[in-house]
Amino acid sequence: MSKIVTIWRKEFRDALRDKRSVLAAMSYAFFGPMLMAVAFFFLINQLTDPSDVEITIDGKQHAPQLVEHLKTQGVVQRQEPWPDTVNPIKLTIPESWDQQLKSAEPVTVILRADWSAQKQQTEIKRVERAVQSYAAKVTNYRLLLRGLDPRVVQPINLSKQDVATRGSKAALIMGSVLVFILLSVFWSGMNVAIDISAGERERNSLELLLSQPLSTESIVWGKTLAAASFAIFGGALSLILIPVIFQFVPLQEIGMSVEFSAFMIILMFVLLIPLALLATTLQLFVSFRAKNFKEAQTYISFLLIIPMAASFGVEFARLKTPILYYLPLTGQHQAFLSLIRGEAVNWFGIGVSALTTLVFAYLLALFISRMLNSEKTVFGL
Amino acid sequence: MIEVKQLSKSFKDIQALDKLTFSAPDGKITGLLGPNGAGKTTCLRIIYGLLQAQSGEALINQIDANQDPINARRQIGIFPDKFGLYERLTVREQLTYFAALHNLSGDHLEQRVNKVIEQLDMQSLSDRRSAGFSQGQRMKVALAQSLVHDPKHLILDEPSRGLDVMSTRILRDILREQRQQGTCILFSSHVMQEVAALCDRVVVMANGRVAAEGTPEELCEMTGESALEEAFVKIIGSDEGIAA
Repeated sequence: MSKIVTIWRKEFRDALRDKRSVLAAMSYAFFGPMLMAVAFFFLINQLTDPSDVEITIDGKQHAPQLVEHLKTQGVVQRQEPWPDTVNPIKLTIPESWDQQLKSAEPVTVILRADWSAQKQQTEIKRVERAVQSYAAKVTNYRLLLRGLDPRVVQPINLSKQDVATRGSKAALIMGSVLVFILLSVFWSGMNVAIDISAGERERNSLELLLSQPLSTESIVWGKTLAAASFAIFGGALSLILIPVIFQFVPLQEIGMSVEFSAFMIILMFVLLIPLALLATTLQLFVSFRAKNFKEAQTYISFLLIIPMAASFGVEFARLKTPILYYLPLTGQHQAFLSLIRGEAVNWFGIGVSALTTLVFAYLLALFISRMLNSEKTVFGL
Repeated sequence: MIEVKQLSKSFKDIQALDKLTFSAPDGKITGLLGPNGAGKTTCLRIIYGLLQAQSGEALINQIDANQDPINARRQIGIFPDKFGLYERLTVREQLTYFAALHNLSGDHLEQRVNKVIEQLDMQSLSDRRSAGFSQGQRMKVALAQSLVHDPKHLILDEPSRGLDVMSTRILRDILREQRQQGTCILFSSHVMQEVAALCDRVVVMANGRVAAEGTPEELCEMTGESALEEAFVKIIGSDEGIAA
């Protein structure tokens, strides 16, 4: 036991003095949420753009009332020429507008635009809606003139009632943020894990350490705790920074609210601890097999794909099976999702997944200890 | 006392050790002399339990490191084949670390660390990080590490490699000092001069076997040569891999 503490303290001190390790642990937790917030900021700005839609209107003089109506709906004639990179949106009113309208024939108004252009989607929709609302107005007049109740042509009044709570809407966006928090424990301890395993071998100090009077279990646990400390620190940092940074993102403008209560953050932090241990043992397992730092880095970047694929896969495929609540990684992910949606927390699932995570980490550590007793692994025979 | 009895070890189809038998008594410096690839490092690694012997046994103070590695390692100080220092730690921190791994603690630990720093005349280095140390300075740290827990047995694997004259002299002085205190010292080398200058007993190894054993004078007598180097070449049958 005291040997574990000795190794832990030494490795922790050693890693703290390694600028590369500290920077790696900090930068992910720090710049990640920042980057995400900036992305959301622009997304929201685009979604809630209240300014007028400027389009080219041909044949304005033929239908001054329509133009006037469009103006009240925020669709106006464009003054400046279109830039080369943007496809123009062009509305053409025919010369025969007045005459056809009077004889109650359908008037063909042409809207020319590129419907596949992502950025113009909302603008095109607004023009469409404005023209349609004018058409509806004309329909009403015509029916009234003929002595009919305009409601006869509206047999169904579809009333849209959005039942998405503010929290559950936010969950959509926050889902990706959660994945980010989960991954922070994989990123933050990574450099330390490589340094104290493959690095120790590369610097030729592994043999001497293994020749000291202590069990390989103590070595592995000491090293695991040292790297896991960094992983947990990175996780805690992103847990603290995300609520702070997201205060500056105008989520309420798209009808969202995200609240991180202290209880929630503490619970998330506790859930991250077993995950950090598992992440670290996985990384140690891989990099103890590598001959040097570079090789370990290569292996570990492949290893990172697993948690990324697992959590993003579940997130985007909207996978729903009860097993997810009990497995490592997905269990924590589901718990985080429930927390952020404000749903009831599946305490049993949280307990089981934390336990399975710890068991996996424990078994891996045992396996690494046995590996370090084997001359094949140690000397690469 | 270190005893090696009928030790055999092979890697795939290469026989590294072939029924190797010798012993290193307390209070004596025993040199394991052999050309490159003779099996010196393999033998030492088996003694401290990093490699498993296929047959035979290696005893440190009657403890077999293949059976009870932790207790066997408590008896020895190791100066390994390749030693990497922890470059981000100061000398004092490294020595404290290894002392703690040998169960030292508290005041006793601090006394021992101070003692070896003094013994190796490293006061000016002790609170510096070891990044950028010269080869001689690195040797001192590695030697201090092997002595910090005051072991009764000292195993050194080619300790003088890459050292200048001054550092080699320091190393020899320290080893003689330790011999005075009754420490059992076993060290491997392929450098003739060093073995001749330092060893009480020489075990000449070739192809994983003991080719000859005795004091440097006995070896010369045995072969009828006046210089150890000539005796050595005669014993192993070739001059391949030997540095004068």
